[in-house]
Amino acid sequence: MDEPECDDVLDDWFIESLKTYKDLYVYQLECPTKVIEWTSGRTVCVAGYGSSKNEILELRLPPKLFANENKGLCAERDFKVVHGGFTDGPVHCLKHVPGTRCVVSNDGRSSELQVWELGGEDSDVIRRTGSVAGRSVVSEGGSRIAARLSSQPQVLHGARSGDVQLTELTSGQPLYKLETDSADPLSSLQFVTDAVFLACCCNGNVYIADTRTAAAPQLSPPPVSSGESVLWWTDASSGSSCLDPTSCRIVRLSSSGQAVISDLRNQREAASQAQLDVQSHHCNLDDVTVSWAPALDGCIAVSGFSGAVQIYNTSVWRTELQEAQPLFQHRGHTVSSQPDDGVFVTSHVWHPERPRTLLSAASDGSVHVWDWVDQSAGS
Amino acid sequence: MPEIKVTPLGAGQDVGRSCILVSIGGKNIMLDCGMHMGFNDDRRFPDFSYITQNGRLTEFLDCVIISHFHLDHCGALPFMSEMVGYDGPIYMTHPTKAICPILLEDFRKITVDKKGETNFFTSQMIKDCMKKVVPLNLHQTVQVDDELEIKAYYAGHVLGAAMVHIKVGSESVVYTGDYNMTPDRHLGAAWIDKCRPDMLISESTYATTIRDSKRCRERDFLKKVHESIERGGKVLIPVFALGRAQELCILLETFWERMNLKAPIYFSTGLTEKANHYYKLFITWTNQKIRKTFVQRNMFEFKHIKPFDRSYADNPGPMVVFATPGMLHAGQSLQIFKKWAGNEKNMVIMPGYCVQGTIGHKILNGQRKLEMEGRATLDVKLQVEYMSFSAHADAKGIMQLIRMAEPRNMLLVHGEAAKMEFLKGKIEQEFSIDCYMPANGETTTVTTNPSVPVDISLNLLKREMALGGPLPDPKKPRAMHGTLIMKENSLKLVSSEQALKELGLNEHQLRFTCRVQLQDPHSDNDTLHRIYTHLKSVLKGYTIQHLPDGTVMVESIVIKVSSSAEDANTKVLLLSWSYQDEDLGSFLSTLLKKGLPSGLC
Repeated sequence: MDEPECDDVLDDWFIESLKTYKDLYVYQLECPTKVIEWTSGRTVCVAGYGSSKNEILELRLPPKLFANENKGLCAERDFKVVHGGFTDGPVHCLKHVPGTRCVVSNDGRSSELQVWELGGEDSDVIRRTGSVAGRSVVSEGGSRIAARLSSQPQVLHGARSGDVQLTELTSGQPLYKLETDSADPLSSLQFVTDAVFLACCCNGNVYIADTRTAAAPQLSPPPVSSGESVLWWTDASSGSSCLDPTSCRIVRLSSSGQAVISDLRNQREAASQAQLDVQSHHCNLDDVTVSWAPALDGCIAVSGFSGAVQIYNTSVWRTELQEAQPLFQHRGHTVSSQPDDGVFVTSHVWHPERPRTLLSAASDGSVHVWDWVDQSAGS
Repeated sequence: MPEIKVTPLGAGQDVGRSCILVSIGGKNIMLDCGMHMGFNDDRRFPDFSYITQNGRLTEFLDCVIISHFHLDHCGALPFMSEMVGYDGPIYMTHPTKAICPILLEDFRKITVDKKGETNFFTSQMIKDCMKKVVPLNLHQTVQVDDELEIKAYYAGHVLGAAMVHIKVGSESVVYTGDYNMTPDRHLGAAWIDKCRPDMLISESTYATTIRDSKRCRERDFLKKVHESIERGGKVLIPVFALGRAQELCILLETFWERMNLKAPIYFSTGLTEKANHYYKLFITWTNQKIRKTFVQRNMFEFKHIKPFDRSYADNPGPMVVFATPGMLHAGQSLQIFKKWAGNEKNMVIMPGYCVQGTIGHKILNGQRKLEMEGRATLDVKLQVEYMSFSAHADAKGIMQLIRMAEPRNMLLVHGEAAKMEFLKGKIEQEFSIDCYMPANGETTTVTTNPSVPVDISLNLLKREMALGGPLPDPKKPRAMHGTLIMKENSLKLVSSEQALKELGLNEHQLRFTCRVQLQDPHSDNDTLHRIYTHLKSVLKGYTIQHLPDGTVMVESIVIKVSSSAEDANTKVLLLSWSYQDEDLGSFLSTLLKKGLPSGLC
């Protein structure tokens, strides 16, 4: 491979990165992934989305990232492929079932889920152990998946608001079904407590349901938006701030770049909002991710509109719609690809504990691990 | 059946030393002869008892091939050749031949002088060992003997590293040594043609990793240097020689230029002397593109990098110094280290592995108090940074290499089979080849299907074509009749007549005859006709003719009928056939002895 002319751009960005990143790791997978899913504090799962055979990989993050006192003495900067397996189709959605060595995936073509066993110390092969049928057979789109820690492994899944179901993994028995009259395509499913979950639709509706009751779910309609036929993505902040299920903050992001923060408890009142600077890249339902930082109060990350991942500090947003500038932009994927390739970020995740560490993946197969410096903060 | 046998020498699952035995076409070859750096006793040497229980190895090995100068690939070579005993040829590339003895001597000094080891090779042994070396050039076929030939390919990784192609007759093996598939600043990427070896042997140490980009490693290096300089600290970078040092110098030079930095950068005189020598070696070894880069950047033409004088070490303020030797075990780098170790603003960056017993090894293991000569202790307060710049192929790289060479089988050494099942599955699926993963000490045997090339005479070919039938199909074997002549080193297939002519022999024809008596009241002609009808019904698919001259022919078999002189109802059948139709002839005679069935018309 010859040194491309964009080597200069790379050089500039890299030199700047000495100040703007504490840590930076750049990897190239053989095939791009649109999923990054934590399977432990140090391992993630990625998987290909090509049309036929693909790989699922469980990767261990470089030891150097975690070495604290003796960081200088650790030279290991590589991902280790600890487990690998083969799928028969693309992987559009992949979730780890907490407390197990199990992950569940969906190929985006049907509502059926594939169940995988990641393997332990004695073998490095990820094996398919079964499947979970969707509540209804859907010909397009694909199922969203959510899981939380429970004594018996269970998984929440569905492609539309009308077919969401909680299924026990071992028996395949449905434990709960979300009853709504609608059939809105979902952009995500998310547990906010052990029993309460959100079914977030791409038309902006968010259903709040409790798996312990048969009562109808609450509906939070989308915010008022200027554009027509926009898509919406949603994320709820989790963790200790959500012990009271209704005190969760949710962020909703539209395909026109409008981001709205609200409180689940008090949905009528728009807490704050902002117009984000997203390039007009034609985005599909699958492409965009918006997520709260688990360990950095009020910060969100946005990706999928371009080759950058943007970090915003929502605590300075106001109730009137105003333009917001990102606190930080990770442009690593764009600068290391050819200009005409139209590289876009397919996925990102925050590290669950390290406040400014993220992983991001792009359509060219690159995966970056980065720990950014908050230059706005004093000293 | 022809087989290739591969045995990685060593014990259990230990990695860190390469020494692989290959048996191919009756030849025995040792690939690499590395030292295990983690052991202090005999376990650091490969276990040669596999080859022979006692005595010298010369008669058991046809040659030894060393892939590159790293000690885990050549560290046990003098032990093997001088203490165990081997007098045959040792093949390696020119740069490897130049650099190996220096590293071996350094290593010997550290192990014997510093650690007081006794069962170790001497300086003289290193010299005697190197006398047995036959240097290799890239892409040049070397005949080890009449049947064994080897060829070196560019492997990247370090200066002089080679992958080697070994051929005996039509069987071949490629051994990769250490290699990388992404180009470095001063080394290209490994390259091999579609040689389709029966077996490709590769290390699996990095097979299950995905490598962080070279630019990020460089970024880390620059960041560390910059941070130290900014706080007024001094940075020591112990290096071995050209190659990595050159690369880091270019990096710093570019950075200094971009950032307009003023702190001085020096390289020590020890480096300068070696640099000239290696520079020349280097230039003839690398490819055109890299040669161009280096012609522009002569080692001594850096704007910001100047030769070091030992008095500079005491100068105040920030500076960066490249000094030899690389493991801080002696010389100038150690002197500078002693001066700078006590200040926490300073930094030492170790760009590679350090052998046990060296200061480098100790500080990389976190030791902060060092015992120096004369019982003095040194407090290590400066920042210690370990950075690995070595270029290795990862999972993706292995797949790329297999795609390039197209081997029929794959063999991975130095990995735990349980931890590589996924990679094995991946290789087997994508390339439809078998992937073997022997443990150390375990032999893998692979049967090969060597093709034997034979020239066929044009006449014979034409004759076969004239016989008609379906067109030749490589999947459907077709029997043909000819004579195989093996003369000198070639094989020829010719027609029998041509062979007889060449040998000056006369052709003889063998025919068998037999008489069968038959009771049949008809006339001779009618009997003949009845025989014809009978045979036609029994021998379907055969060519049966009733000829006007009064015979019946079945293929080449001739049947005549005549009446017995005594009794007109007793017919005598005369059967005659050539030896090629022996089977059919016997069958017919047995059949006709049974007589003709009634009801024939």
